[in-house]
Amino acid sequence: MDIAVLDRSAVGGNSHLHRAAPRSKLLAFALVLASIVVSTNLFVVLALLFVLLAVVAAERLPARSMLPLAAYPAVFAAVFAFASAPDALAAALIVAKAVTAALAAVTLMFTTPYPQVFAAVQRVTPGLVGDALLMTYRAIFILADKLADLTRAIRLRAGIAGSHPIRSAKATTRALGGLLLYSVDLAQREYDVLVLRGYSGRLKVAEHPSRSPAADRVLVAGALALLGVATVWRTCWTSLIDYSWMPLALALLGLGATFLFRGRNR
Amino acid sequence: MSHIHIPDGVLPVWLWLGGWIISAGLVWFASSRSRGADVRRKVPLVGIISALVLVSMSSEIVPIAYHINLTVVAGVLLGPQLAIVSAFVVQVVLALLGHGGVTVIGLNTLMTMTEMLLGWALFRGLVRLLGRTRVRTASGIATVVTLVVTTTLLVGVIAVSGVTGATARETGALDPQNLTFASPFSSGIVGVGLFSGGEPATAPAVGLRRFAAIVYTLGPIGWLIEALVTAAILGYVARVRPSLIFEGPLAPTERVLPGDEHGVH
Repeated sequence: MDIAVLDRSAVGGNSHLHRAAPRSKLLAFALVLASIVVSTNLFVVLALLFVLLAVVAAERLPARSMLPLAAYPAVFAAVFAFASAPDALAAALIVAKAVTAALAAVTLMFTTPYPQVFAAVQRVTPGLVGDALLMTYRAIFILADKLADLTRAIRLRAGIAGSHPIRSAKATTRALGGLLLYSVDLAQREYDVLVLRGYSGRLKVAEHPSRSPAADRVLVAGALALLGVATVWRTCWTSLIDYSWMPLALALLGLGATFLFRGRNR
Repeated sequence: MSHIHIPDGVLPVWLWLGGWIISAGLVWFASSRSRGADVRRKVPLVGIISALVLVSMSSEIVPIAYHINLTVVAGVLLGPQLAIVSAFVVQVVLALLGHGGVTVIGLNTLMTMTEMLLGWALFRGLVRLLGRTRVRTASGIATVVTLVVTTTLLVGVIAVSGVTGATARETGALDPQNLTFASPFSSGIVGVGLFSGGEPATAPAVGLRRFAAIVYTLGPIGWLIEALVTAAILGYVARVRPSLIFEGPLAPTERVLPGDEHGVH
């Protein structure tokens, strides 16, 4: 998982979504998630997926980095679906839900700097948890780089090779052992730095105000509309079931139109 | 099996909401007991060990496509209170990266927490029983037993949820008319004739049996790999920095300045 790309996009991007308030984005994310949870209609879930894809395309977000991350849970969901679903329909629904929810989460993270996301989480969690979240996310970058360096060093010495699984496993384990000791030392250094900067048991993150209130309103209204459609299809299914293709067709049209306008505006 | 790879909206509401409530209670309990300067000193350690678990999940053992978790290592290094916090933090970050659902963060936290706590307790007990020279054996056994227990927990969650071959469609939604979590999907999209569905579903037990068979067939490969990796790492740490393992996470650490390793001033 290349989370450095994620962070670059979240901090350096300038789309409407980047300009919206983190609070609005979190609310919209929760509403989209609720839409996925209440939906049991494959067409509706696919419509939600295509709407999210249209948003990614319209906002010119780095889809090449986002889509593999969003598709990753599909592998595990497919295993679960294969193990438990009775037919292709149920299996497809499980996989579609996994990918749609992941795409919603990834879109949030690609458009919002992580301290802003965790600032909201911090408000509802104990101080220890909020601080640990911030430190964890920051440390992932450092440790991922360090592990990549260690693995590269071992690979250069022919320590990792597909034809020698035992030697490869030993080399990977040694790299992880070294990484563990490095992590412990890093934790101590982090604490020293924090104390020097006046850390007293609570990292405070100021929430960024919205740079585009209009984007906030559109975002939340759009997410509410999605939840509305999902809920209506869920509760009035007997009347609407014959029209299940409509949300999907509309979402596909929207995606097509997005690509068309994107091409013209290039 | 540090987390269940089940997406949002598949498990019934009562189950994932229950998972959230129990794990939130445990996290609050662990946090409220972990106060004071000593624990504050360990906050970066919680963050960094949690990050290590997350990074190790992205590191595959070549050529077998298996991601290790290091949950037992994290449990041994952090101890029970901080492990609970770490389990929650790991699952929140995983969910935000799209790996695992947001609604199942609670259940996933309970799974990871169980792995860390059980791993920690078994490791401690076995080291006491076998002696400090048998760290690798102790950690290997602790890891295998822990993973067997958590894999069984996973199968238990699926069994309790009723999400099996027959009921996979009735997932994640509640019926506002009777609040029985019933689904209209039994004749839902199937009514359109898609995928020639609509036939009666198979008996629930068949789906659960198939799921359990797959998990228990593939599981041992993962348990073995995880046990070997955990044993190697903890054995290495026991040799190089034994205080990390034997003195516990809140033991006061003596700071040694560079160049003053032998106490020479």
